[in-house]
Amino acid sequence: MPEETRLHYQEELVELERRALEGLDLVVATLDRTIEAIENQDVELAELVIADDDRIDGRYLEIHQSILTLLATQAPVASDLRLISALLHVMKCMERMGDQCVNIGKLIPIAGHDPPADEEMLRDIVTMGKQARSLITQAKRAFADRDVGLARDLVRQDDVIDNLNRESFAIALRIGDEADRREWAMTMMLVARALERIGDNAVDVGEQVAFVVTGLFREFEDASHPGETAPQPTAQ
Amino acid sequence: MTEHVTEQQRRTDEPSAGPAEHRRGLSHGIAVTEGERPQKGVTRDKVFELVDVAVLYGGKPAVRDISLDVYRNNITALIGPSGCGKSTLIRCFNRMNDLIPSAEVQGQILYHGEDLYGPKVDPVQARKLIGMVFQKPNPFPKSIYDNIAFGPRTLGMKGDMDEIVERALRRGALWDEVKDRLHDNAYGMSGGQQQRLCIARCIAVEPDVILMDEPCSALDPISTGKIEDLMLELKDDYSIVIVTHNMQQAARISDMTAFLIVELDADEQNRWGRIIEYDETEKIFTNPSDKRTEDYVTGKVG
Repeated sequence: MPEETRLHYQEELVELERRALEGLDLVVATLDRTIEAIENQDVELAELVIADDDRIDGRYLEIHQSILTLLATQAPVASDLRLISALLHVMKCMERMGDQCVNIGKLIPIAGHDPPADEEMLRDIVTMGKQARSLITQAKRAFADRDVGLARDLVRQDDVIDNLNRESFAIALRIGDEADRREWAMTMMLVARALERIGDNAVDVGEQVAFVVTGLFREFEDASHPGETAPQPTAQ
Repeated sequence: MTEHVTEQQRRTDEPSAGPAEHRRGLSHGIAVTEGERPQKGVTRDKVFELVDVAVLYGGKPAVRDISLDVYRNNITALIGPSGCGKSTLIRCFNRMNDLIPSAEVQGQILYHGEDLYGPKVDPVQARKLIGMVFQKPNPFPKSIYDNIAFGPRTLGMKGDMDEIVERALRRGALWDEVKDRLHDNAYGMSGGQQQRLCIARCIAVEPDVILMDEPCSALDPISTGKIEDLMLELKDDYSIVIVTHNMQQAARISDMTAFLIVELDADEQNRWGRIIEYDETEKIFTNPSDKRTEDYVTGKVG
């Protein structure tokens, strides 16, 4: 039987992936606080979300440095190389999702302490947040299990967010003439937009699962041509 | 090259062919005419076609079931663990195994569509067109100039010998370093320079293919880098097959990579090498098809 070799390197790769996917847990925790802050229009909690983003950025820098070291010292190839390339991408998504929570955190104080909220719209946006949370955990599980089917299902789950986003927009349009309510609704549309982007980032993580497993990078959905097959690489 | 010379000397009764004949082909059987000289850039023209090749030593297979095409103006790398038969295989490409009495080559090896092992093929001519560079630099104990001039003189090549030597040394990326000491003994050169001298010596007789059996394993990284740069330049004019233990080297310089493994029979008494995967190098190192290739290139198993 061939002898197993480079065990230390293999352990390093496993640890790198564990730390990177744990970064998605940090985003989930931040998103939980963000949702709570939206639901209760809690300005103080929103400030905590902003401050806490340093932890996510720190994790991003840590993984980035670990990847550079591995590339420089171990010259990874084949599935190891694909994993590292995918983790770089996943880390970027993680960092962006954290930033979207910060964006939301900055919007909540604009709405004020006791805003004239529309209950139906608020409910939709909170549901969007919970759905985005569910997408992140599903993306993480798909990555850890190398489950392409579960990763592809993220597109279907993301449609729920997109539909709620459109619904919120419709509510905002018919919210009435009162200036304060209109301002609140516009602010909440920006919140909805940030949550919608978090969902897209979770789908991007899913695309990386397919890349790690198959070696082929294909967007699950082409944003510029909805319903069509995603474009092929332009050059080999 | 040493073996090449020995055999050439053994055949002194045969008339030596002139340069025109060399250019056209090595004997009555195989021909590479000027019109067929490789064009620049990577092609899919086949230089070698191996079909079900096996090499046996004393009746026992060292490699078997080898089928692969080697393409013109490509660098083709043979990789695999120790004992998988990489060196045995590369020695088939210029009939070096003929020099081992117990060796037997089975199957078919076509060189530009002609049977390399056909009865009319002169192995000495084959080794002129299909040169070889070895793991350890092996210059002759002569001057730098005479090392290069030896092959052309022995083969009776016509032309200004100074020009032939300069052209070969320039092509071997060595001219600037040695032009002022052409008559110094080659043993005074560094290991990397000696290896480039061996490559230049190989080029001097105007080959079609250069075989390299671990040409950098005895060299430091700087010398290795110079040889790799040289190989990338030379592939415009020649087809190169390289055996290497250094997988990053295969990844850096080769166009195609063949991965060989060692197989054992049921009672584990006999072992032989076999090609598991042969594909474009980029594919082998980013998304190999076979799990065994994956495990080897990532270093999971040795």
